[in-house]
Amino acid sequence: MREPMVEIKNLCVSLVGGAGPVNILRGVHLSIAGGETLSIVGPSGAGKTTLLMALSGLEKPTSGSIRVAGVDLTTANEDGLARFRREHVGIVFQSFHLVPTMTALENVALPLEFAGADNPAEQARTALAKTGLGERFGHFPGELSGGEQQRVALARAFVARPSLLLADEPTGNLDHETGLMVMDLLFDLQKEHGTTLVLVTHDKVLASRCNRAIHMLDGQLSELTGGRA
Amino acid sequence: MSEPRILPQALRLVRRELRSGLRGFGVFLTCLFLGVFAISAIGSFTESAKSGLLADASALLGGDFEARLAHRQMSSEAIALLGTRGDLSHVMSMRTMVSDDHGSKRVLAELKAVDDSYPLYGRVGIEPQQSIEEALKNSTEFGALVEQPLLSRLNVQVGDLVRVGSAEFRIRGIITTEPDRTLSAFTLGPRFMTSLAGLSATGLVQPGSLVYHIYRLRLPDRNVVNQLKEELQSRFPDAGWRLRTWREASPRVQFFLDRMNQNLTLIGLCALLVGGLGVSGAVRGYLNGKINHIATMKCLGAPGRLIFTAYLIQVLLLGALGSVVGLALGAALPYLLKWLIGDLLPIPLAPAVHWYILLKAALFGLLIALVFSLKELGLTRRVSPAVLFRGYSDNSGKDPGTAIRLAVVIAAISLAVLAVSTSTDQRLAFWFVCGAALCFGIFRFVSAAVVSLARRLPRASNPSLRLGIGNIHRRGSPAASALFSLGLGLTALVIVMLVQANFADMVNETVPNEAPSFFFLDLQTQQVAGFQEIAESLPGIRKIQHYPTLRGRITAIADIPVDLAKIAPEVSWAVRGDRFLSYAAGMPPGTKIVDGVWWPDNYAGDPLVSITADIAKGFGVAVGDNLKVNILGREVTAKISNLREVDWTTLDLNFAILFSPGVLENAPQTHIATIQVPPDQEEKAFAAITARFPNVSAISTREILKNVSNTLGRIGIAFRSMAAIALFTGFLVLAGAVSADQHRRIHDAVIFKVCGATRFDILGAFAAEFLMLGLIAGMISAVVGSLAAMGILRGLMKMTFNLHPGTIVITIMTGICLTLLLGLLGTWKALGQKPAMYLRGE
Repeated sequence: MREPMVEIKNLCVSLVGGAGPVNILRGVHLSIAGGETLSIVGPSGAGKTTLLMALSGLEKPTSGSIRVAGVDLTTANEDGLARFRREHVGIVFQSFHLVPTMTALENVALPLEFAGADNPAEQARTALAKTGLGERFGHFPGELSGGEQQRVALARAFVARPSLLLADEPTGNLDHETGLMVMDLLFDLQKEHGTTLVLVTHDKVLASRCNRAIHMLDGQLSELTGGRA
Repeated sequence: MSEPRILPQALRLVRRELRSGLRGFGVFLTCLFLGVFAISAIGSFTESAKSGLLADASALLGGDFEARLAHRQMSSEAIALLGTRGDLSHVMSMRTMVSDDHGSKRVLAELKAVDDSYPLYGRVGIEPQQSIEEALKNSTEFGALVEQPLLSRLNVQVGDLVRVGSAEFRIRGIITTEPDRTLSAFTLGPRFMTSLAGLSATGLVQPGSLVYHIYRLRLPDRNVVNQLKEELQSRFPDAGWRLRTWREASPRVQFFLDRMNQNLTLIGLCALLVGGLGVSGAVRGYLNGKINHIATMKCLGAPGRLIFTAYLIQVLLLGALGSVVGLALGAALPYLLKWLIGDLLPIPLAPAVHWYILLKAALFGLLIALVFSLKELGLTRRVSPAVLFRGYSDNSGKDPGTAIRLAVVIAAISLAVLAVSTSTDQRLAFWFVCGAALCFGIFRFVSAAVVSLARRLPRASNPSLRLGIGNIHRRGSPAASALFSLGLGLTALVIVMLVQANFADMVNETVPNEAPSFFFLDLQTQQVAGFQEIAESLPGIRKIQHYPTLRGRITAIADIPVDLAKIAPEVSWAVRGDRFLSYAAGMPPGTKIVDGVWWPDNYAGDPLVSITADIAKGFGVAVGDNLKVNILGREVTAKISNLREVDWTTLDLNFAILFSPGVLENAPQTHIATIQVPPDQEEKAFAAITARFPNVSAISTREILKNVSNTLGRIGIAFRSMAAIALFTGFLVLAGAVSADQHRRIHDAVIFKVCGATRFDILGAFAAEFLMLGLIAGMISAVVGSLAAMGILRGLMKMTFNLHPGTIVITIMTGICLTLLLGLLGTWKALGQKPAMYLRGE
């Protein structure tokens, strides 16, 4: 039987705040097949972003296990997790998180450069062209609109052909029209690359575009459509 | 509705802004503080030392008035006159050899014979405690007081007998303080003090001996001293003495202090200029953090002029704060030094607050703050409210406007004028200003060139190197600031190190193989043949030279009395009192005639004189002009027959003024001689000659040079300390630039990690960036510093210049290591930043 892309068992994440530890994720179980698209919806503070961070290896679990693309994230060290991200994961943020002092092209080339890829600039150029920003390679983030910045972020997330794409409310900072355009682009790229997609969103319409949607509340998951939680 | 007045509004804004404290102004305040402190401390110390010298002038001079004669006593008429004006004291001084009782060990000593009135001011500290009269009183034997080194060198103790010339002396005590010797920075041996009668018994005072008679006077009212000097000059115009009043007690020390002050102030100014970059960076960083705030105020209707005024007032207030702390500490330094190490200082300090010095330092601080912050302040007028809508802003490359550029130029010119006008050597200060401006130009160009080159470099295959290079040329990069500040600081250090190394070379290179091992003074004419005989028999003897010597004073130049003659400052030493003269039939070795001809062999005509070309130039005379010299009261007029160029660095015996034969042979004279023996034979040669001629003073070249080296070393510490302040300021600026950039670095590091960068990748990128910056800053500093040092040494000091590759390599290594260290320390936080925490915070 083919191993799922994501396998989470009894995942708990607690953060220590000023008022003591806060349990953000409380025994999450989740399995995502390769090429599947999954949306996570739920109110603010439910733990959606924390789950995404744990999936990308940016957040260390307090207990439980996470395997992504065959890599056990709970035992990998910080640099191992960085290598895991460079080989398997692309991330899109609500607030884009581009490097403001780098051009669009340089931003997109970054993951390839860290991975030691050949011709990172050439590949980045192709990726940017696919997002419709072929003419804006040399522009800095400050010179681009919000929609354009998110398209650069999409190009950066897909450029290294990751097996898993994590998107954290990618349209949260965009108007409706621009948001739609960006999501069309995101799903197109996902289809083209056969990438597994985990999408965190408040938007139920957007969530419905995924194969599967799950609901998160108080650090626990419940299945909305199909699949298992 | 009338337009509200700008100033009250601006002040209100300033009050609100400053309520949040001085966060972000650490580098700004420290840079100004360090620079202003350096300048005010040096100035305050110098003025306190000069005041101290003046306050203790009578004690330092040994009286309110002094008349000094070489070789001979004052006329009885003059003595009688002085005796009627106050308490008179007679002191004689000469250099001589002191031996132990068995004559087995000999050392050169500075002998001082004093009368019963000595000292007129102050007291001689003696161990074991006793009065000077008691110590030097003549009972069955002569008494002597000596400095401690004499005891250890001769291996004798208080109570032992020692010999000087043909007399024996009982050492009665150790001199711990000598009021009129404080300023003798350069001496050839320890003090040996006895009575006039004791000196007379040695038999050393022979016609022509290098002995000084010093007459000191304590006046009932020391303010009449100038009238007394004038009276003596008019009544005894041909006395051939050197007269000094208490006001002129320490002209050389004061001159030295002024020179030190001047040079150290310029290096201090260098530190302040480097600090200016910190000021600029801090103001830029502060204002960049305020862009949204400024944009909001503009949205609400605040005119650009109001914003500019408010921030200008803030910069001036903070500049004043940094400067005031610097001024306070600078002014306090002499008090602290006096309190902590007053007894150890060679100069008496009279601490006081010198307002002129503090005003000068404050003005330097204010002008630096203005020159380096006006552009950044001007850019606040250009902040567009649109930034609030777009989220990103970049002011780099924006023009602050003509008025601001003009104001910067005016402030910079004022700074230059202040530096030159307040300097004692305006030529040096002018060249410093030009050099500093050139350095700024060079480093500005180099910084821009490096950034531009980094942008054009082919993409490196190594991601860390590529990111490192990218960090150098990206917008908002601290590269230019780092190169500028570190480069200028390192340049100042290279200049000081190279100048010092070349001074050391000058000292060391004057001990070439052909340099004499010893100078022998006071050889009597009848001893010359014996000396020659012994010297020739010394094993390994390489060279023997001897010349007759007399002391004489130039009284007229080209028939114009010396007081009226126009004399260039660089040769004024030649007319300051008595000078060594000699005569010779043949031309001294190592001499080059540049004008005229040397007199023929067996010349017996009218008196002729040969002088060095630099003296001729400074006197404005040529071959054929007359030179009148007073030798022991006798006036000799000689025609200049030739001009010579002499290489003094060989240490060969030579004289600036040499007479033809037949003029001075009958005048009382002694001989000066040199010998050169291999180093391992020096001890034997010294023993052989001093044993045979106890009246002859033997001076070791090695000892003199060691003394000079030690003095240079002590002076070097002061210069290195100042250069270190400049370099430290440079690092501070670099730290400020890195710190101002830290938020960006943390953000980048997190994004890099999200994109798959390991900590090693990020560390590599930062290390590559700072390694390259350090390397470039070090290399440029090495080149610019070497060129500047060459200009100073060759152009201003007329010295030879040696490149010291070791110094340059050390500079480059220092630049690289410290930049790397500082850079990585500053970015450590970025490296350790947990992405999840950061992203959650965003």
